[in-house]
Amino acid sequence: MLAIIPKRKIWYAVSAVLLVASFVFIALGGLRLSIDFTGGTLIRLSFVDRPPVGDVSAVVQASTGQSSHVQTIGENKYAVRLGPIDNDMHQALQSSLQERFSDVREDSFEVIGPVIGTELRQKSIIAIILVVLGIIGYLIWAFRGTGGLVRSWQFGLNAILALLHDITITIGFFAVLGYYFNVEIDVLFITALLTILGFSVHDTIVVFDRIREGLKTRSDDLEQIANDSVNQTLVRSLNTSTTTLLVLVALLFFGGSSIYYFVLALIVGVVVGTYSSIFIASPLLVTFARK
Amino acid sequence: MQQTIKVRLIFLFILLLGIGVGLIAYPNGPDLAIGSYHKELKLRLGLDLQGGSQLVYQADVSGIAQVDQAEAIAAARDVIERRVNLFGVSEPLVQTSQSGDDWRVIVELAGVLDINQAIELIGDTPTLDFREEGEDSGGLPTADVDVYNAAALKRAETILTEALKPDADFAALANEHSEDPGNTDEQGNKLGGELGFAKRGTFVTEFETVLFDQLQDNTVHPEVVETVFGYHIIKRESSRTNEAGELEVKSRHILIAKRSENAVLNQLANYQATGLNGQHLKTATVQFDQTTGEPVVSLAFDEEGTKLFKEITERNVGKPVAIFLDDAPISIPVVNEPITTGEAVISGSFTLADAKTLARRLNAGALPVPLELVSQQTVGATLGRDSVEASFFAGVFGLVLVALFMIIYYRLPGLLAVIALVFFYTPFVVAVFKLWPVTLTLAGVAGFILSIGMAVDANILIFERLKEELRHGRPLDQAMEEGFRRAWSSIRDSNISSLITTLILYLFSTSLIRGFAVTLSIGIIISMFSAITITRTFLRLAATNWAARHLGLFGVSNQPIK
Repeated sequence: MLAIIPKRKIWYAVSAVLLVASFVFIALGGLRLSIDFTGGTLIRLSFVDRPPVGDVSAVVQASTGQSSHVQTIGENKYAVRLGPIDNDMHQALQSSLQERFSDVREDSFEVIGPVIGTELRQKSIIAIILVVLGIIGYLIWAFRGTGGLVRSWQFGLNAILALLHDITITIGFFAVLGYYFNVEIDVLFITALLTILGFSVHDTIVVFDRIREGLKTRSDDLEQIANDSVNQTLVRSLNTSTTTLLVLVALLFFGGSSIYYFVLALIVGVVVGTYSSIFIASPLLVTFARK
Repeated sequence: MQQTIKVRLIFLFILLLGIGVGLIAYPNGPDLAIGSYHKELKLRLGLDLQGGSQLVYQADVSGIAQVDQAEAIAAARDVIERRVNLFGVSEPLVQTSQSGDDWRVIVELAGVLDINQAIELIGDTPTLDFREEGEDSGGLPTADVDVYNAAALKRAETILTEALKPDADFAALANEHSEDPGNTDEQGNKLGGELGFAKRGTFVTEFETVLFDQLQDNTVHPEVVETVFGYHIIKRESSRTNEAGELEVKSRHILIAKRSENAVLNQLANYQATGLNGQHLKTATVQFDQTTGEPVVSLAFDEEGTKLFKEITERNVGKPVAIFLDDAPISIPVVNEPITTGEAVISGSFTLADAKTLARRLNAGALPVPLELVSQQTVGATLGRDSVEASFFAGVFGLVLVALFMIIYYRLPGLLAVIALVFFYTPFVVAVFKLWPVTLTLAGVAGFILSIGMAVDANILIFERLKEELRHGRPLDQAMEEGFRRAWSSIRDSNISSLITTLILYLFSTSLIRGFAVTLSIGIIISMFSAITITRTFLRLAATNWAARHLGLFGVSNQPIK
C-alpha cells in the first residue's frame, strides 16, 4: 500500500512547478499558431538537392512581392509560409520556382483566408468550453447522492481541476517545443486536447468511482478511504495507460510524419492525465473536503 | 443449466455475427446486394489518405431572402455535385456549411490532383436568371402615351417627306432628328443613322421585312415603319453576299421613339430579379427557330419554374423580359402572351456551336447563387501515401504489443480479450465504416486506433475486478459476475464522457476532424458492446469447473488471500 494521499504535498509541489513553467513559456509566446489559426499560405516543397533558405525566399519575394518564412523540414523539404496569395500569384510562383530549381516539387499548398482561420479558432475555444461543461454536468448527475464527506459537485469540480491541470501542462509542453523548435499547433492539436479531455476524465472517474464505493461502506476517515481506493485502482490505471501508450508510441515512431505532433500531444496528455488522476485529483478531494 | 444454454446461444449468435461482419469487412469482399438494393462495399479513403483537393466556396446570398437562403444553397450544392460527377471524380464530397450568416459549399475531390482543373470546372457554372423591368422606368400613363405617340408619328411622317426628296441628305436628317441612342458614338459624334452591314436576324421583324424583302439598294422606304422602338425611316444603301453565302445589307435609319408604359429597352439598369432562375431550369435543348431556321436554346422549367414564368409573362405582356447569363443580358424578348407551358426560348445570333455550348452549360447546372473560392488545399499523394502505409503498420505493430501485454499480464482472460478484439471488434468497426459509410482520413485512422486502446481498457477494468474478487475467495463464476457488475459503472461513466467529447468534436469542426470524432465514437460504442457481450460471453463459457481449479490462468493463486 503506497502512501499517496498522505504525501500529497509533494505531488502538489511537482505540479506547481510544471504549471508555472507552462505559464512562463506560454507567456513568452512559445505557442506557434499554424496557418489554421492565422490564415495565409503554407507551401510545402521538396527537393532532390535542397537549395539554401535564402535562395528560396528570394524567389518567393520576387514572384509574390511578399517576404516569407522558410522552415526546414527533414533532409530535403521546406515549409514556406507567407501571407495570402491568389490563384494567379500561386501559379506564377510555381513557374518561378520551377524555373529556378529544376528538381522542386510542390507537396502541398494550403490557402486559408483569415475568415476561416478566425472561425476555426473560435470554434475550437467554444468546443473546449462545451466539453468542460458537458463533462462536469454529467459527473454531477452520475455522482449524485454521494453526500456525506464529499458532495457530488466536488467530484465534478476536482475532475475538472485535474483536467485543466492536464491541458495546461500539455499546452505548456508545446509552448516549450514551439519556443525552441518552432513546432506549430494546428487544428489536430486541438483535436488532441479534446481527446485528452476525454481520457483524463475517464481516468479520474475510475478512481473517483472507487472512492465513492469506499464512501458507501465507511464514512469516517476520508484520507484513508481515498488512499485505499487509489491504491486499488493503481494497477488498473497504469495498465490502461500502458496499453494506450503502447499504441501511441508505435504510431509515433512508425506512423506518418503528418500526425507526429498530434500523437506526441496525445502521449503527453495521457501521461500527465494518468499522473493527475492518481496524484492530484484524489488528493484534491481530500484537501477540499477537509475544509 | 438455463444459464449455460443462454450463454451458448449468445455465443452462437456472436459467431454468426462475426462471420457476417468479417465478410463485410474483408477487403475486396463481396458487395451488399439485397433485392434491388445494391451497395458497393469498399472503404472510402479521405482526402489526406488518397491525396486530392479540397475547395471551399463562399456563397453570395445578398440577393436572396433569408427564408430562401438554405434552399438556394442546397440547390447550389446539387448543381456542383452534378458538375463534379460529370467530371468523373469518384465519390466527391460536396456539402454545404453554414456559420452565422456565412453560407459555404465545401467540395472535396479525393484523387483529383490538378486543382486548377477542378476549380475551372466548378467555377464555370453559369448563373442564369430572368429579370423584368423595374418600377421607375420613366414610363407614362396610358392616355399620355397615346398622345405622345401620335405626335411622334406625325413628326416621323414629316421627316419622311423630307427624306424622300431627290436631293435629301439622309445622314444629315438622321443626325438632326434620329432618337436612336446608337447613333452617337463614344466620342459624341453622330453617325448619320448608319447601321452598317447586317444579315438577317439582327433586327426586329418589321424592320427586316422592309429592309431585306421590300427595299432595293439605295432607296428610302416610302412609308414609316413601326416597331417596338418607334417609327423608322429606313434607307437601304447597298448589299452583298458574305463568305457563308448569306445576304448582308447596309442601311441607315432615322428613329422617332415611341413611349410606352415601359422604359426604352436599352435601360438595362432598371431590370430587377423575378425569382425565376437557374434553380428552376429542368433542361435546355438546342432547337431551330421555325421561321429563321437559326439555332436557339429552348428552356424547359420545372413545376415551380413554370408557375413563376406564367406569372411573369402575365405581368409583362407587351413588355420585355430579360434573360441574364452570368449577370449580362443575352436575350431580351418581348412577351407576346402569357406562357403557361413553362418553356422559353433564348434566341440571338447563335452559331450552332454556341447554342450547343450554352445548352450544355445550362444543363450541367445553372447556379442560383454566385460562388467565390475562399480556400483551397491540395494534398499531394506522396504525403498521404507514406502516412497511410506507415500508420497502418504502426497501428498493427502497436496492436501486437497490446495483445502480448494482455496475454502476459492477464493470461487466460487476456487471451480471450485479444481474440475478441482481433476477430470481432476490429472487423465489426471496419464493417461499420464500410456501411455507414465513413470516409477515412488520417485523423480517422488515429481515432480508430485510439478506440482500440479504450476497448482494451474496458476489458482491463473487468479483469482487475475479477482478480480482486477471486483473491477475496469468491468462486469463479460469481467472481465473474461481480467483476462485471462493479466494473460496469466505471466503464459506462468513462466512455460516456469520451462520447460527449466526440459529439462536440463532431458538431464543431471541419470534415477532417469529424472523421476522427466519428471513428472514435464508433470505436467506443462498439468497444462497450464488445466488452459487455463478447468478452463476457467468452468468460462465462470459460467459467468451467476445470478452470476454477486452475486459477493461475486468471493470474491468481489458488489460495484465497486474507
